[in-house]
Amino acid sequence: MRLPIPALAVAAALICLPAHAQTSWDMFDGGKLLATGGVSQVEGAGGGGLANWALITGYGTRDGIGGNVHYTAVPLPDYSLQSAGVAVGLLDRLELSYAWQEFDTKDVGTALGLGRGFTFHQNIFGAKLKLIGDAVYDQDSWLPQISVGLQHKENDRAAVIAAVGGKNSVGTDYYIAASKLFLAQSLLVNLTLRETKANQFGILGFGGDKHNDYSTQFEGSAAYLVSRRFAVGAELRTKPSNLGVAHEGAAWDLFAAYFFNKNLSLTAAYADMGNLVIKNDQQGAYLSLQAGL
Amino acid sequence: MKLLALSVPLLVLFALAAHADDALFADMGGQAGIDRIVDASVDNYLADDRIKTIFDESNIDRLRAEFKVQFCQIAGGPCQYKGHDMTMAHKGLHLTNADFNAVVEDLQDAMDKAGLPFATQNRFLARLAPMQHQVVSR
Amino acid sequence: MKKLIPFLLLLVPVAAIAQDARTIIQKGRRFSVPEIAIRRGESLTFTNNDEFIHQIYVQDLFDTEERMPGQNITEAFPRTGTFDVRCHIHPKMKLVVRVN
Repeated sequence: MRLPIPALAVAAALICLPAHAQTSWDMFDGGKLLATGGVSQVEGAGGGGLANWALITGYGTRDGIGGNVHYTAVPLPDYSLQSAGVAVGLLDRLELSYAWQEFDTKDVGTALGLGRGFTFHQNIFGAKLKLIGDAVYDQDSWLPQISVGLQHKENDRAAVIAAVGGKNSVGTDYYIAASKLFLAQSLLVNLTLRETKANQFGILGFGGDKHNDYSTQFEGSAAYLVSRRFAVGAELRTKPSNLGVAHEGAAWDLFAAYFFNKNLSLTAAYADMGNLVIKNDQQGAYLSLQAGL
Repeated sequence: MKLLALSVPLLVLFALAAHADDALFADMGGQAGIDRIVDASVDNYLADDRIKTIFDESNIDRLRAEFKVQFCQIAGGPCQYKGHDMTMAHKGLHLTNADFNAVVEDLQDAMDKAGLPFATQNRFLARLAPMQHQVVSR
Repeated sequence: MKKLIPFLLLLVPVAAIAQDARTIIQKGRRFSVPEIAIRRGESLTFTNNDEFIHQIYVQDLFDTEERMPGQNITEAFPRTGTFDVRCHIHPKMKLVVRVN
């Protein structure tokens, strides 16, 4: 099994880290302002629920580190999607994440001849690097915080993916994200461009019989800060439509995120995932819990 | 023509935003409100284990007086802050982002205590935030 | 020439008084010494070698402008007595000047 690039980056970062750190626990300085690490998006990166943001996860400032674990459940009319993962933010500069996703086809599995409750699993390894800007401090400038990243995804159902016209069970998304907090308006805005071949986030593999090239997709989020602990917002994420068997459209959500403190946050959303694996109108609840430092 | 159509609502939005900021000093309760916020926030700094040692060598009364004038000016009030250059005043303290953020949190607590709506607090903090560039040197 | 020598000798103490005042360094938000003894009329030069802005004052004697790092200021002590030199910005700084 080949080592994913993010794992090597973790090793490299941990070797370089002692130059900045004092004792091991001092590194978790918890110094960022509440909510400024975002939450965990459905593929494990720091951001909203659907979108990757330019913010680096965790409450470590540029002098330390932060990290968290998350669990997300998205019960939909005909499916259920779960994800769990871990992410670290290093020196408010580099973010590394791992997420495990399980997609249960329930009765649709039967309809597809796969068996009831047939599940797909993905391992998603992510890395994000902040390039420039600070979403919070740069209130006197138009410059957003800009980060680039990748999400490498490995799906365990290669045969089924091939059967539905998918070309690969492994794929990597590349993205650039710009986030800015318009503090005077209590508004956080994010725009992300993603180069991807993923079919339904990778649940049905990568590339397809209809289209087998990378395409540029868009994700946008806007969040209004109601109080220090509470934000509401909306997201939109477009997806390619590579498979002949299932037309795919954009996903969107309306969310509310509550930050109990710097150790725990809960995000609840109403999500419309659009068409998923032959079933339309997959709208349902999205619930995510993040715990960390 | 499309560009004009797009820019007009944007200009209106920014004009509205700018107008809202003219009201900030009043929305913070004028000088009396700012004085209360400064006194409460300085009390918070001195009780905050994360940052209280930063103030060990400081003249606290002088600091309170300076903050009151400076915050008045920042909020758009009729004050002229004649104090030091912010970079020079903080250089020797070797402050970190964590220090700066702790001050922000203590200031937010003081503004909560003064009953300022969160949106008003953020309008003020938006003007303070860029000071990070001068105040943080480590 | 013989009449000139006593006159020239008189100039020596005048020259001594006109020499550079003694220097006190401000560093680490402290004065370089905790106390100093000087003669009435002498001056002290305070040099800011610190990372901080300083000023100095003595009750009923002088209260100076701020001095940036690298700047200095000279103040005279025309009366005898014991004087505390302090800084408005840093209340823990104190220099005791004994003037006789």
